[in-house]
Amino acid sequence: MRIIFKPNDNQAVLNVILLADTAMKTMMRYANGIIAALLIMPLAAFFTAKDANSLRFPYVAAHLTKNEAAAHLLSRFTYGATPGEIEKVANEGLENWFAKQLEARLPDDSLSALLNNYDALKLSNAEVLKQYPKNGQVLRMAVKDGSLNKDSVKTDRKGYRDSLAAYMEKNGLKPERELFRQFINQKVLRATCTNNQLQEVMTSFWFNHFNVSITKGNCAQFVPAYERDVIRPNALGNFGDLLLATAKAPAMLYYLDNFSSVGEKAPRMTNQRPKRMSADTTAMMVRPPKKKNNRGLNENYAREVMELHTLGVDGGYTQKDVTEAARILTGWTIYPFGQYGGQAKNALTNLSEDQLQKRGFVHEGDFLFAANKHDDAAKVVLGKKFKAGGGYEEGVELLEMLAHHPSTAKFISRKLAVRFVSDNPPQTLVDKMAKTFLSTNGNIKQVLTTMVNAPEFWAKDAVREKTKSPFELAISAVRGLDATVTQPYQLYNWINKMGEKAYYYQAPTGFPDKGQFWINTGSLLSRMNFGLALTSGRIPGVKVNLKALNNNHEPESAKAALATYCKLILPERDPAATIKRLTPLLNDPQLVTKVNNASAKVAPKTTDAITGADSTIRRETKKQNQAVMQASNGNSAMLAQVAGIIIGSPEYQRR
Amino acid sequence: MLTRRGFLKAGGLSLFGIGLMGGIPAFIAEAAASEKQSQLYKGKKVLVCIFQRGAMDGLMAVTPFTDEYLKKARPDLFMSAAKSGGNGSLIDLDGRFGLHPGMKSFERAFLDKQLAIVHGIGSPNTTRSHFDAQDYMESGTPFSKSTSSGWLNRAAGLLGHDAATPFTAVSLTSAMPRSFYGDNPALAISSLQDFAIQMRGNPAGANLAAKSFEDLYDQTASGLLQQTGRESFEAVKMLQKTNVKNYKPANGVVYPTSALGNSLKQIAQLIKMNVGLEIAFAESNGWDTHFNQGTANGVFARNVTDLSDSIMAFWHDIGALQDDVVVMSMTEFGRTVHQNGTGGTDHGRASCNFILGNDVAGGKVHGKVDALAVENLEDGRDLAVTTDFRSVFSEVADKHLLLKNDKVLFPDWKGSRIGVMNT
Repeated sequence: MRIIFKPNDNQAVLNVILLADTAMKTMMRYANGIIAALLIMPLAAFFTAKDANSLRFPYVAAHLTKNEAAAHLLSRFTYGATPGEIEKVANEGLENWFAKQLEARLPDDSLSALLNNYDALKLSNAEVLKQYPKNGQVLRMAVKDGSLNKDSVKTDRKGYRDSLAAYMEKNGLKPERELFRQFINQKVLRATCTNNQLQEVMTSFWFNHFNVSITKGNCAQFVPAYERDVIRPNALGNFGDLLLATAKAPAMLYYLDNFSSVGEKAPRMTNQRPKRMSADTTAMMVRPPKKKNNRGLNENYAREVMELHTLGVDGGYTQKDVTEAARILTGWTIYPFGQYGGQAKNALTNLSEDQLQKRGFVHEGDFLFAANKHDDAAKVVLGKKFKAGGGYEEGVELLEMLAHHPSTAKFISRKLAVRFVSDNPPQTLVDKMAKTFLSTNGNIKQVLTTMVNAPEFWAKDAVREKTKSPFELAISAVRGLDATVTQPYQLYNWINKMGEKAYYYQAPTGFPDKGQFWINTGSLLSRMNFGLALTSGRIPGVKVNLKALNNNHEPESAKAALATYCKLILPERDPAATIKRLTPLLNDPQLVTKVNNASAKVAPKTTDAITGADSTIRRETKKQNQAVMQASNGNSAMLAQVAGIIIGSPEYQRR
Repeated sequence: MLTRRGFLKAGGLSLFGIGLMGGIPAFIAEAAASEKQSQLYKGKKVLVCIFQRGAMDGLMAVTPFTDEYLKKARPDLFMSAAKSGGNGSLIDLDGRFGLHPGMKSFERAFLDKQLAIVHGIGSPNTTRSHFDAQDYMESGTPFSKSTSSGWLNRAAGLLGHDAATPFTAVSLTSAMPRSFYGDNPALAISSLQDFAIQMRGNPAGANLAAKSFEDLYDQTASGLLQQTGRESFEAVKMLQKTNVKNYKPANGVVYPTSALGNSLKQIAQLIKMNVGLEIAFAESNGWDTHFNQGTANGVFARNVTDLSDSIMAFWHDIGALQDDVVVMSMTEFGRTVHQNGTGGTDHGRASCNFILGNDVAGGKVHGKVDALAVENLEDGRDLAVTTDFRSVFSEVADKHLLLKNDKVLFPDWKGSRIGVMNT
């Protein structure tokens, strides 16, 4: 066992980083007073050179060339290969590349430079609440402050807006949406630029697995820190640590309501308590002020943690288990940020850590175990007995048990295989991964290693079998074309349009990870339009230099462009079919004119079958037509069109 | 009978390649096809659902104005139905309930027995979280969060024909609403105009690109992409037989320029185009009136005016097709009986909803609203839920769309219906 002390960002508390699992359990039992935030696994130390050697990818047996195998590897563990990356990885050795990705310690200086433009990214949750309050809260504060006349909205909308803006300016407040904008920009840039691609892919995977949503009001502001502090640092760590960290995160506590769950048998504060616990404290701790009838059990989190986070819906638990687990987790809540009002907040925050500890409270950063809200009686979950008086520790024990349950091993392994292999992964593969999951106590790197060492990963029916999500499509296109992104949000808008409003997925299930979910008639057209918009420079703040991709050689004909850019955009794939289908179109410069003439002769009033253009427009299009079609020499519109069609093609939707 | 798939194969819609194939020009086949196609989809029953997100104050929309408790609980929000109140007074519906004056446009439909109101409607789950309540209402399972499909998607699966068009279920929203999640094909589009291959200022380029895409998707080895690609291009073609951009509503109707008005206008277009629309979805936002709700004027009044004017514009626009269409509104919960400290109302329980159609048991406020004495309120504060939303949703969907199996539509629900539809 190793214990590393490391100062936290904002509070001068110590993070205890425990490596050995059994040691952790023992430790946690006695860790009542220790602030144990399980945050960062020192990855390199844990994944040694010996493990790297244990990587051996059986792609030759699957009849893949080294380059094809590298392409497959990159398609699964990155957001898309950049130009030349396949060759680079093949030269470096596939196993070596993967080992470095597992370590996730490659320098990321250019990304850091880009992210420095966003000032909200490093804020703690408490700072976020101070600087980016919810819109309604700003209104109330401004009215209370006398800076805003609440009735003026009816009479003088502009004046109302101006005085609100002035109030925010004066007090250093910023609109909530700006926080989310920065957060999303950050994600797009990170996925596009980071050298530690696997870590980012895994961050998306786990975020979706432990989904929280900006659509839920009280959870929204905590979403950025959730991904930054809870998900990303644990993305390649240990599943149990990740589970515990999510359970204690404000975003999750709000999203699935556990913050409000109070044990029906919770010991109320009485006057036997030390005098310092004032009446105010009592009132606050038992229930938030002004809200009656709130006292009670909320099973929401307890159910989802079993159904969606660990065991799976068929994982062998009952409604009784859900209720008992919910009782165990009563009192797991948020350390007051201030929204509960001054008095109540002070009552708790005035207590020293020692005083909290003596009362059985656990305070770690934003997390609070409120002993007075906890159901202290005995419970039984999945046959395991939890004695009365277990306090905070029994919750940790419960999550530990869930993290190491065989159903969890299967459920998580399957989900990983769906993400990285195919929508219907072979059971043999899932079983191997589950075995590793159990034998390594949920070591995520080891589970991934087992997966990528397995023949099933490289099998013919796995290669190119996944459908890119809209996010993956957009980022892979930007990476593959080496585009310069100065307005990441523009890409997000397209991703949204194609059907993936990332971070706004309402249901706790997260986005389904299957092609069928992403591909529907509307979204498919959006994908095609995205390809055309990207390559023709119609996405503001996203610049593509197609010629540069080809060493500034201009293809001499449309046909040559097609062949060249198929190879560049779809490396290591057989472009024959695509070229064959498109060549006749590109070879007939009169095609569109012919089409127009033909339809004009027979049915002059009907609209054009595809463009819906009427005959006036059609005349104009002739000229443009010729421009486009005679593009064989130096017309970048033609090049843009060819590249756009390739990005929008079915082949490009697969990875 | 000609099925949808068989028809497509036979109908020459496979490629639009005019002039490319030799022999009979494809556009002739297409013209013939479009005739048959329209016939095929004519007279489909259509259910239009409008989700009012944020929780509408049902007690202000349709006020039990004789209730003295309500008057006392809402000193600043209560409106009377007295004629002397002028424009600011409620529209008396039946001596007990009054329609908010902003919904004047609903009055005629109510008198003509086309508009029904259900009061006291809500979810058996007592959550007062927007997120959860919407989730439960849209999934149709108020006690299960793990239901992955939405109730309207399941309804699409119960329409009794496997050959759906790309437009069977359409949501006029940019993202797929929870109600539409599921295995049956459903479409979310914010604007019909966007539904094409777009190359601004270069229609020829768009034309070529569309042709290229169609070819590529037609030939791809991936079944999913091929099938969906084919449907996409069918949909594009079906839409482009009509001039989407210069749509002129019938009967001189002018829609409100709101998001809802715009959505309903496009739904009317789709209905008139005979593209096979059967389930449509639109949203109305801004109902979370915690702050300065207003009375005859203000936020709430603007919202109800937009809601009723948009719906009635739609209703007059579709004119002769009214027999085929039912419009139903829904909202996740209602609001507190008492006004709060900031001139608004907080999250409550039951609300009301509106159902418009010729087969609706209209001209009546259905459901049960007891006197609003504290002892009759849920948790001592809220209008009690006396009608399960599933009772009304299932009755409307079953009767109008002729669905059979509401065990699938609303698993776990065993209640009875209240007769909001004529038999």
